[in-house]
Amino acid sequence: MKTIRKPVPAPATGRRHWRSLEELADTKEFKEWLHREFPSGASEMAEGQSRRHFLQIMSASFALAGIATLGAGCRRPVENLEPFGKQPSDYVFGASQYFATAMPLRCGAQPLVVKSYEGRPIKIEGNNLFPGGIGATDRYAQASILDLYDPDRARFYRKQGQKISKDDALGSLSDLSSRFAGNQGQGLAFVVEQTSSPSRDRLLAILASRYPQAEWYAADAIHSVIHQEAASKAFGQAVRPEFHFEKARVILSLDADFLGGEDDSVNHIRRFASGRKPGETMNRLYVVESLFTLTGAAADHRLRLGASQVLGVASQILDQINGKGTASTPWVAECARDLAANPGAALVMAGQGQPLAVHLLANAINSALGAVGNTLLLATAPAPSFHLKSFRDLNPSAVDTLVIVGANPAYHFNWTQKPKNVVRLGFYEDETSELSDLHIPSAHYLESWGDAMASNGCKLAIQPLIQPLFDGMTELEFLARIAGEAVTNPYSIVKATFGEDGDRWKQFLFNGFVADTAPLLGNLSLALGRDELQSMAAGFNTQAPTADKLEVVFYRDAKLDDGRFANNGWMQELPDPITKMTWDNAVLMSRKTARALGVENGDLVEISLNGSTVTGPVWTQPGMADFSLGLALGYGRSRAGRVGSGVGFNAFTLFRGRYVDSGATIRKTGSTYVLACTQDHWSMEGRPAVREANLDEFSRNPKFASEDFHGVEPPIVQSLYPNPLDEAKKTALQQWGMAVDLNACVGCGTCVVACQSENNIPIVGKDQVKRGREMHWMRIDRYYTSDPGRKNNPSLFDFNADENQSDPNQQFAAWIDDVQAVNQPMLCQQCESAPCESVCPVNATVHDEEGLNVMAYNRCIGTRYCSNNCPYKVRHFNFLDYNKRPLSELKGPMYSTTLTHKTNGEWDLLRWLKDPDIGMRTEAEWDLIKLSKNPDVTVRMRGVMEKCTYCTQRIEQAKIAQKSRAGGSGNVRLSEAEGTIPKTACQQVCPAGAIVFGDVSDPESSVSRQKLSSLNYSVLGDLLTKPRTTYLARVRNPNPAMPDYHAPYSTEEYENGLLTRKGTS
Amino acid sequence: MSAIFPKWTNWLPLVLALVAALAGGAVTAGVVIYVTPKYYRVGYQPVQPVPFSHKIHAGQLGLDCRYCHSNVDKSWVANIPSASTCMNCHNQVLKDDPRLAIVRESATNNTPIPWVQIHIVPDYVYFNHSVHVNRGISCVECHGRVDQMDTVRQAKSLSMSFCLDCHRDPAAHIRPVDKVTDLGWQWDSDPAKAAKMQEINGTKFVHDWKVESLQSCSACHR
Repeated sequence: MKTIRKPVPAPATGRRHWRSLEELADTKEFKEWLHREFPSGASEMAEGQSRRHFLQIMSASFALAGIATLGAGCRRPVENLEPFGKQPSDYVFGASQYFATAMPLRCGAQPLVVKSYEGRPIKIEGNNLFPGGIGATDRYAQASILDLYDPDRARFYRKQGQKISKDDALGSLSDLSSRFAGNQGQGLAFVVEQTSSPSRDRLLAILASRYPQAEWYAADAIHSVIHQEAASKAFGQAVRPEFHFEKARVILSLDADFLGGEDDSVNHIRRFASGRKPGETMNRLYVVESLFTLTGAAADHRLRLGASQVLGVASQILDQINGKGTASTPWVAECARDLAANPGAALVMAGQGQPLAVHLLANAINSALGAVGNTLLLATAPAPSFHLKSFRDLNPSAVDTLVIVGANPAYHFNWTQKPKNVVRLGFYEDETSELSDLHIPSAHYLESWGDAMASNGCKLAIQPLIQPLFDGMTELEFLARIAGEAVTNPYSIVKATFGEDGDRWKQFLFNGFVADTAPLLGNLSLALGRDELQSMAAGFNTQAPTADKLEVVFYRDAKLDDGRFANNGWMQELPDPITKMTWDNAVLMSRKTARALGVENGDLVEISLNGSTVTGPVWTQPGMADFSLGLALGYGRSRAGRVGSGVGFNAFTLFRGRYVDSGATIRKTGSTYVLACTQDHWSMEGRPAVREANLDEFSRNPKFASEDFHGVEPPIVQSLYPNPLDEAKKTALQQWGMAVDLNACVGCGTCVVACQSENNIPIVGKDQVKRGREMHWMRIDRYYTSDPGRKNNPSLFDFNADENQSDPNQQFAAWIDDVQAVNQPMLCQQCESAPCESVCPVNATVHDEEGLNVMAYNRCIGTRYCSNNCPYKVRHFNFLDYNKRPLSELKGPMYSTTLTHKTNGEWDLLRWLKDPDIGMRTEAEWDLIKLSKNPDVTVRMRGVMEKCTYCTQRIEQAKIAQKSRAGGSGNVRLSEAEGTIPKTACQQVCPAGAIVFGDVSDPESSVSRQKLSSLNYSVLGDLLTKPRTTYLARVRNPNPAMPDYHAPYSTEEYENGLLTRKGTS
Repeated sequence: MSAIFPKWTNWLPLVLALVAALAGGAVTAGVVIYVTPKYYRVGYQPVQPVPFSHKIHAGQLGLDCRYCHSNVDKSWVANIPSASTCMNCHNQVLKDDPRLAIVRESATNNTPIPWVQIHIVPDYVYFNHSVHVNRGISCVECHGRVDQMDTVRQAKSLSMSFCLDCHRDPAAHIRPVDKVTDLGWQWDSDPAKAAKMQEINGTKFVHDWKVESLQSCSACHR
């Protein structure tokens, strides 16, 4: 007899999780979104194309296809194989090659290893030979490969906007060089960006001696040297600080988003996560911040505070540690006490956006806590060779020729008044190109020779993977030509800077680095007196913001950086780690601010600050400081390219070099704007997907998260039918599985981009994201959790109770102000007993013997039943041929057809007869798209379901390599001890090491050991899907003495029946 | 009625019937020729830019396959040799032969020779040469007796069922690893005895080398 099992109630302990205010308030829109498998309109045509019209077009195209088939379709095209004339030595055709290089950043560089297939770079990985590296990268490095193949990048040498030959451009540069050599560079000015390249420093020195009268400006939109500046000032000599979170037991962040927006976050995440193992030595994180950041999401205690108020907290904490004064709140007092109780194992970090005074206070606190030399390491830093003035101080009328090296001041500084002559090296033809007289296309770093310094002071090699695609010039060659150097070849320049030849040079290129780091300085004493600190602190406006004097916090965007990735579709479509917004920025504010200003999500408001205004949509962000506005920089580009132009609003219009500004006012414009936010997509209706507890509960009951999760899960009932996999398993050599550690994961989203890069996942555009059609095989679910004690309406947590649930104003309830967040990477769980498989009518998704739930794309007919039946919502349907859609139509119209469409004046139908693959793309785009795809993974077409494969291509390659080595022997099993187990793309890039993949049939493998942890649990395990991907429950480590110590979610509510669902008693 | 239906319409039924018969026949023939899985251009033998004879090189001279297809045991693809490989011998042998003009030009100027591809599997099939030849599957299993072909033609269908036939029963096809490129090799000159030995040794190899009889999608499709 069929029994209906009780559905799983939500956890009685741990916190209730919700992902958006709409979900929490359970608005009508949210419910509709939730209960529709595919969002409204997902299966319907848009923009005035009726079904009838569609059928007309389709029948015509079938008829034409039939005619075309008679001519050409019956015969396979003749394909030629064109081998080399001369065989390059050691080159194996069809085998990937790997080269070490580095991605230059404004603050250091990231050591990388890049995979090259038939001469084209395909995938970027971290260099795991690098000291302290684990082969991880950040999301910017992952996405940077798409820039290389960007059809919109600058392709031509231009003078006054007209195309000229490269030789003419070189001639102009040498003219410039000789013209200014005569007058010592009078009237010449250079605009450069911050880099760490020793070769560039050498060239700048040559330029400075050749043109002593020339002026030098820095045009960095984002100021990232403040840590070094502050430490140098605090300790009285030029030092570079390194923050070693792995050695710290107690960490205080003063508005420092070191896991997200700060530079060098990849190292910070790695260090922080390694100290975050649940147990005695687990670290504790206090965060004082105004925005809700990834660091705030990882915090054990978070104080929501206006950014201008952080100075006060910093100075109080210093006083408390020194035993002076009284703290204004118990939060500050207890935090200071906890820091002081861990001398030598505490660490305080101030944020890049905070003024120097806060940084100096942080250094003083660190010094008082004995952190210097323990958790805060100081290394000698080279003194800056010469002083760069800020671009804001440039007087255009005093300059004859301005040489801009890479920077984009027209966008970052709203620069419009150009001097007589502007020469510019730029990767894009962007806002600054409009003001340039001579524009030279820049080479991508994957096309360049160069060098850089890593954040730990190691010298890194940048070597090209490919010839410059559009004959662009490297920065080094550009500068050398202006300097009139005899040697302009960047390879020779780098080698000359390196200064050595032979084996050491070869080793440098092979490894990609030289492991000589600057010596550490040990425990330096503070060179600043208390009075000095106090006088610095006194000079700042620390008035609390109000509704008519709002505080504005500008921040580096998690995706576009300062706007340099604006034309990168992967970055635009990556959901913001916290807001989960794609393709836009917004005016972030707390619910209290929104209520006081009378605005709601999506209202367009005009912000006035410093006499400038900008208009953007409102987004209510839980956990934000009141009367603070969060504005992401990097959006609103007017000339970024076809992907990035006109996306979002330009916060640089208001920006005056201060990351925290005050006195802003807001005016409601009356119109609204639709944001494409993915936070409600693929929701799980409040099931206990994420499980967490406090450290003390974990030590009392280490098994809190496993299958008997607080006794609320039904007993496992064995399935009636045998699982065919159990039989097939017996013949398999390995069984694949994954464990994701929610304690390590900070939610940075690097894995999402890496997956996109590895698996040829297309971008779909904002309109398609709004319809819920994003294609990411992997997503990071961000759940908000809140303190139940402060909520005023307990029935909110009863999702099936319809009473009191549809009031949208509940998003303005007070208890949502202080939220915590948890991140959960969600990808195909590779269920052993997969619900998707049993409903596929064509057997397109089946199991292989190693436990993978595989997709045969060619069998898929697109019924989407599998996605309907997937409890994890990890299957994605390819609604349109996103790979064949031209970039110009990324933002609409959505359903253009080859029948009525012309590309470059030629009917697409005729183009289709010539090349059936090209779609509606122009040749210029198509050539680059073809280069950029990973040849090991099928490029899926429209009408096909797709999902995470555990990187089956990597698994197969590893197996093939092992079997080829085995030859006539039985040594075919992959083993972790021999290092033959492949890594999935997400695992390889994870800076936190949160994802562990491997052979679960090997009890010694690290994934098996992870799964033995008492924290291990399956999401929705009660459905008997037997997922191969399991999670380690999250443990928080709050301080019991703190006023905001949350006892684990009381079981009271569950006992009161408030959590039981309607109709299931 | 003749105003409406002219005289020629009397023939209309017959013409329609004829057209229908022809069309039906064409469809039937088309299905038989094109749609049945056995047809995968077996016998396809295009004219190559250089009249290279495998029969002479691999058959009579006894060159090992891997002398030219040197990456076949290292890569997923069995490479077509570069012209410089040809010139290793042909700078001595037939060094002025007009048939080798393209090869000499290619080796001098590094311009590729446009060989016509014969053996093609669809793009969604990720066939790997190295894992087959390193594990005792001979070239002859898929390519036939290339050492007896003057101009190479496709000998086997290379359809999915062709692949699966072998994957379902590897023991019938596996041979000692060092005999992989010996296309004419047999266990014994007596066919009955050879078949018997194949059965015994094949089963042994499959067992000892832990050969997986992979039939799941992920083995070939990614």
